[in-house]
Amino acid sequence: MLRLVLARTAAAIPTLFAIVTLAFFVMRLAPGGPFDSERGLDPEIMKNVQHAYGLDLPLYKQYGLYLWHLLHGDLGPSLHWRDFSVNDIFKVALPISMQIGAEALAFALLVGVPLGMAAAIRPHGIVLWLARIVTLCGIAVPAFIVAPLLQVGFGLNLRWLPVAGWDDGDWRHQILPVFTLALPQIAVILRLTQAAMRDTLSAPFIRTLRAFGLPSSHIYLHAFRGACLPVLSYLGPAAAGLLTGTVVVETIFSIPGLGRYFVDGALGRDYTIVMGTVVTVAVFIIVFNLLVDLAYGLVDPRVRHD
Amino acid sequence: MTESAMIETLPGARPSTTRLSTIASLAILIAIGLACFLGPWLSPHAYDRVYRDYVLTGPSLVAHPSPEELDMSLSALTQRLHIESAYAIEGDTLHLTLKSPAPVDPRVARYFDHSDLFGTAKIIGHGAGDHSLHLDLPIRQIYFLFGTDANGRDLLTRTLIAGRISLAVGILASLVALFVGVAWGATAGYLGGSVDAIMMRVVEVVYALPFIFLVIVLVVVFGRNFVLIFVAIGAVEWLDMARIVRGQTLSIKRRDYVAAAEALGATTPAILWRHILPNAAGPIVAYLTVLVPRVILLESFVSFLGLGVQEPLTSWGILIADGARNIQASIHLLVFPAVFLGLTLAALNQLGENWRDRLGVGGA
Repeated sequence: MLRLVLARTAAAIPTLFAIVTLAFFVMRLAPGGPFDSERGLDPEIMKNVQHAYGLDLPLYKQYGLYLWHLLHGDLGPSLHWRDFSVNDIFKVALPISMQIGAEALAFALLVGVPLGMAAAIRPHGIVLWLARIVTLCGIAVPAFIVAPLLQVGFGLNLRWLPVAGWDDGDWRHQILPVFTLALPQIAVILRLTQAAMRDTLSAPFIRTLRAFGLPSSHIYLHAFRGACLPVLSYLGPAAAGLLTGTVVVETIFSIPGLGRYFVDGALGRDYTIVMGTVVTVAVFIIVFNLLVDLAYGLVDPRVRHD
Repeated sequence: MTESAMIETLPGARPSTTRLSTIASLAILIAIGLACFLGPWLSPHAYDRVYRDYVLTGPSLVAHPSPEELDMSLSALTQRLHIESAYAIEGDTLHLTLKSPAPVDPRVARYFDHSDLFGTAKIIGHGAGDHSLHLDLPIRQIYFLFGTDANGRDLLTRTLIAGRISLAVGILASLVALFVGVAWGATAGYLGGSVDAIMMRVVEVVYALPFIFLVIVLVVVFGRNFVLIFVAIGAVEWLDMARIVRGQTLSIKRRDYVAAAEALGATTPAILWRHILPNAAGPIVAYLTVLVPRVILLESFVSFLGLGVQEPLTSWGILIADGARNIQASIHLLVFPAVFLGLTLAALNQLGENWRDRLGVGGA
């Protein structure tokens, strides 16, 4: 297990290096700069501002400096949010995004896994139809359609929940974004669980258990362990999907999370924010995939890493 | 397993529903595809034609203008002219009488020509001392089946034009991903060794990149250009394809017929093209069915954020974003494009699922 962690960490370093390099140069290729405005800055002032942020240095020097700072965990100053460093911003924004993401993932698992299992155990009647409808909604109705409808329905017409905003994480502000974010994941998790459970239930060991006369609740428990493997291996892509989702959800619900800073940053050529987001998200995905692989080994003895 | 569950999984019980859903999905896709491809030419409205008098009209099967619209529009016009009016409707023409204390200039007829409600005005006659003017206005019958948007453009035509863009991006980006992925995966898998190791290493690096972030950066960098949007999306979506093709190639290249081809002195590209790729076609198509809806979704998502193609051209994502902005006043702006997008995604997914079932390739 330790070997896996070490090997993965070693493999992650060149990956991260490549990502940082790619993001750095692609971003600099973009026309326009962070301090362009409609009126345009006085050339003298522009020179000073660029100098202050080191943007007047040759590109390779900027790149070297960025890497050097990054090694020390410093993501640099934000070019748009004056007097804030990217670290300052992320210290506030990252927990918000992670909170929404984690809640959405938990919600998706809590709904998707039981519903998928139920649909596999009793593939007829209401349960199956419910599963079908949820799957269809998750696939055919993307977050950016669900979100406005929810806002109008629950926010403006019924007035049960706030339309948008964050309000320091008041629970009422979290319901709609979390639901929106979770819906597509519910669909995938449900489908995976259903298919895996169906396969496991027709495996020989289940037939043996039945032949031994075990009560069906025990049998389902055994089947569950086999059925949750695909779900577990899906958690890596799910985390990536949630990160993608947060960009839209945070934009629609005006939540001050990482996704929104990223979109604003990309549009406003806030180089450091964009780079910071890309690096942070990449690290996050790598770590999360590692955790999933470790958990996989715990559940499935066939792929134990030792 | 319960009795009914047994019956459900028996062969022969499922194909009928599978076949039905395949036919239904195909029908939906063909209908949407044809409508989007031919519709804009058949539609009486151009997708960028602005009807200033019909802003945010609701969807209806009845021809415009309705009597209320006529009345409102006429009173707005005459108010602007500071003129009094009276009218009577007879069939498709509207007899209008304009009265004013000052002499009425016949050139006011121009104002009515410019309106979207009427055809060319015909001056019938003047009243005493030019204080009144009689006009005959042909009423222009217009249909807005899906209503109009906030700029007064026909939503049906725009939805179809948007569909063209969305579907084109979906197909072209998938093709980009297909070509890059297949070439990459087949080369890596066939050559093996250190080439394989390096090529798959590259895939792994790009894999860890946050996709959507990369697409956004690419679109921001290269501008909101149709070609670049699908190239950008294709450039991030080829990875799974490369992996799948590599895996297939690894297993196929050990077959005897490949060894035979090698022994006969066939070149590497020829072997890949003649022997390996045709035999990997099944899984490639299976993955393609996952890819196309994913790409369409990604495009609409990028468009929703305001990074898609530029106005007056449009795509489903842009229309949906528009609809979301106007959701309270006119929900039809959201509903119609959303239904088109949703139906397309659902049908593509169903088709892919049935195809994979048939092939026995698992996975979501």
